Amino acid sequence: MYEISKELKEKVTQLNSTLVDKYKDFFNMDSIQLRDFIDKNVGEIVEIKKLTKDELTKCSEKGGIVGVDGSKNRVGGAYPHYVEIFQGLAKSTLHKEKPIFKADFYTPLYLEGERELLKKFEEEENKEEAIRDYKLSGIEVEVALEAVEKFSPYAIMMDGSLIRYDIECFDKWIELRKKCEERGIILIGVIKDIKTSIIGQSLVEQNNLNTKEFLYDREILYGLLGYGEMIRVEDSMTKKSKEGFTSIFMRSSKAPNIIGMDILDSQREYLDEMARLVFSLTPSSSRGVPLWLDIVDSQVKVSDKMMRSLLERYLDRQVLEKFFISERDKRIL
Amino acid sequence: MKVVGITTQQEVYVGSKDRNFRINEFLIIMDEYQGDLMGEVVEAKTYNRYIPLNINGDLVDSSVLESLKAIGYNVDEDTIYIAKVRLLNEAQYPIETGSDVRVPRFKEVKNLMVKSTKEEGLVLGAIKNTDQMEKDMDEEFKKLLYLFEDGQLIPQKGIPFIFDLKSMHQYPHIGVFGGSGSGKSFGLRVVLEELMKLNIPTIILDPHFEMDFSESQDYMPEEEKEDFNERFKCLQVGYHVGVRFEELNPQDLKNLLDASSPLTDAMNNVVDILFKKNDSFQSFHDRLKMLSEAQEEGSPDKIRRRIEEATTEAERDGWKRRKELYETYDKICPYSSVRGIFWRLKRLENEGIFSNDIHEIEEGLKMGKLIVIQGSTRMLQVFSTYLLNNLYHRRRDFKDAEYKHTTADYFPPFIIVTDEAHNFAPKGYDSPSKSILKEISQEGRKYGVFLILATQRPTLLDETITAQLNTKFIFRTVRASDIQTIKEETDITEEEARRLPYLQSGDVFISSATMGRTIYVRIRASKTTSPHTMNPFDELLNYSQEREEKFYRLVKDKLPINDSQILFTLTEIEKESGEVLNMDQFKEKLENLVLKGKIEKVTTPFGDMYK
Repeated sequence: MYEISKELKEKVTQLNSTLVDKYKDFFNMDSIQLRDFIDKNVGEIVEIKKLTKDELTKCSEKGGIVGVDGSKNRVGGAYPHYVEIFQGLAKSTLHKEKPIFKADFYTPLYLEGERELLKKFEEEENKEEAIRDYKLSGIEVEVALEAVEKFSPYAIMMDGSLIRYDIECFDKWIELRKKCEERGIILIGVIKDIKTSIIGQSLVEQNNLNTKEFLYDREILYGLLGYGEMIRVEDSMTKKSKEGFTSIFMRSSKAPNIIGMDILDSQREYLDEMARLVFSLTPSSSRGVPLWLDIVDSQVKVSDKMMRSLLERYLDRQVLEKFFISERDKRIL
Repeated sequence: MKVVGITTQQEVYVGSKDRNFRINEFLIIMDEYQGDLMGEVVEAKTYNRYIPLNINGDLVDSSVLESLKAIGYNVDEDTIYIAKVRLLNEAQYPIETGSDVRVPRFKEVKNLMVKSTKEEGLVLGAIKNTDQMEKDMDEEFKKLLYLFEDGQLIPQKGIPFIFDLKSMHQYPHIGVFGGSGSGKSFGLRVVLEELMKLNIPTIILDPHFEMDFSESQDYMPEEEKEDFNERFKCLQVGYHVGVRFEELNPQDLKNLLDASSPLTDAMNNVVDILFKKNDSFQSFHDRLKMLSEAQEEGSPDKIRRRIEEATTEAERDGWKRRKELYETYDKICPYSSVRGIFWRLKRLENEGIFSNDIHEIEEGLKMGKLIVIQGSTRMLQVFSTYLLNNLYHRRRDFKDAEYKHTTADYFPPFIIVTDEAHNFAPKGYDSPSKSILKEISQEGRKYGVFLILATQRPTLLDETITAQLNTKFIFRTVRASDIQTIKEETDITEEEARRLPYLQSGDVFISSATMGRTIYVRIRASKTTSPHTMNPFDELLNYSQEREEKFYRLVKDKLPINDSQILFTLTEIEKESGEVLNMDQFKEKLENLVLKGKIEKVTTPFGDMYK
């Protein structure tokens, strides 16, 4: 019944050989050479240690760590019959009973409410996407701002790159950035899924790799670093994408994939300490994400089930059925 | 504590963030619409979503948890506690999810847990996991007992379990099940102590010679020690008590002989024919013996020749009597059967069964004592058949006379207790004691005769009897077939049955018709100790140390001993202590003392010297 069609199999085989062929230079690269190249051209590879108990206690005494994460979920069918819900959470390790939640929604059915944003992103090619990104990033920055006021933490750990906030919700981001710098609160972003191509770019530019297309850092660094090793990326390398940030790559768990972390330029003196903090909070046998962010993530997450029951409970039945139930939702096979 | 998840009319889940649950704990669910409902925890779990059991996924290591703790976040605090609670009485509607739950107060559970008082019932132990209700417990239920846990005595913890003795009138008979080392004999001891306290006439058949109540437990504080010496009596079959032959009727006699080893139809017939009213042991014995001797001769002619050849008058008369017997009985009593009865009778006599009577037992019962009848399992089987028949019918005659408004001697109601009950009432085959036990199990209630049957193998106990046991004490049981039997015979739940193999020694499920459900109890510390509690390996050690010490004392004054002097020393020792040793034994013992470092061995030109 669930047989895979022959053509589908062939297509996938084809994909495999294409990729192998395309990246054969890369696959054939010697990892020692590659490390050497990175060490010299991208940034030095250093091994870091976990924070000691005393250092951790100091973090706690100075206000604890706040984790910030956002979540979105969408119900409905194609444009414009859907609604997307955003939720952001800032949670302090010290004030566990006082999580800061903020929520928002977006639906193309009610653009009257989004007039301001529509105007703001007039120039954008994909207005809708820009608004949605703005809403999610904005909400995360807002909870972070509130956490700054309420908890005045030692550091704030955002889920995702800081650059993302800079791009997606610049106005709010600047406010957060200014506040943190004023109060000396360290602001970092932890990137689970790195999407940069700093190393690949540089490989091509230096003619070490004979491809026209850039390789992403994700595939280059896969398995290249040892457990607890990090690359302090030289500022000259990152400046190309966006100014004002300093980044590292790090293998924080036994899993071979790499995570990234960035920090404000002005706070680069804390780079090592924060990298070590991230390392300390990451279970060695996990995917590489600090447990604290996982905890925040699990609490902010708007699951499908939750989303459904939320809408079913608080939307009138006719509103729900008319606007947001798609044919696909009713499919049972 | 709150009710969480999907609920039914019978079962709910209760969740708590800060309080762990215990199995068999009672909780009150405050349902907004149906009022307070009582439930019992049947399953307890804890869960922490950040430390999941996920073999393929992330596994959180302790260093990370420590790190998180150091920066102020304790993951342990996110542990939640979940209990599956079964309602004691089915609710009319499913419980409202989100209802608050609280721990009951003593007076709310009093009717469920306490059915009697310490003056009228048996204080057997403490109901487990009820200590949180202890605070507001009535004074009369406090400080009734001690518990023995982890090698030490501790004061009462929780609500006492008081077995309602009077309820036996409606729900008679108790079964005590549990493997060896489960605390079964110990539980039986506590039951017996309580029966003695209340002066309940009791008979216990004790094949293990362990039911002695004269020694107090060392661990008991002085003021708690109790002297039971006046309340019980140990009697050995064949020594203190026995069967009075003159009082036997043919059926009793057949039962006894049958218990010795099974009788054939022909043998039964022989007893019927040869056993006369008012026979004494001697007269019956002689009759059997003479008949068999006559039959051995083989024919009347041969017996006649014996008479003629007799040299004394007595001998002649003897053979004449044999001839008479031969002529009367030979046709109807085959030789082999006569021999069979004769040997069985001899065997019983050799065991001393006929050397005494049961008078002492009757007197003891009338005084409300606990009578311990000791003997080998076989002896007890033989004797109990007679004894229980006798006593039961004495009681029965008295009660029947009362109903019929005639008079009969007073005989008190009593309780029969036995360990290894499957030997007395086995399933599948007949045994003489089984029929009387069966009769008592079915009719004893009317006459006030009750059974307490303990066994390691409930599966081997007669089913009719098992079915009549209205209260069951179930100790640790490992054997699957026995657990199966227990499940069939009691109201024990699936969850409880699963816990049976893991019960601690002395913990017991009490399934009782009076309570209407199973109660989890810790048996109290006994006040007296069994004579068998010494570890056999300790005993061995003590014995060899004692012997060594004794030998050392003997040779101490004679040191130093030269090899050449040994013979002389030996005779000296023999003279002084009467102990006879040969050279080799003596040297071996000396060497042993050297090994233990008590004496020294020096090699001299004249051979070894011990000093």
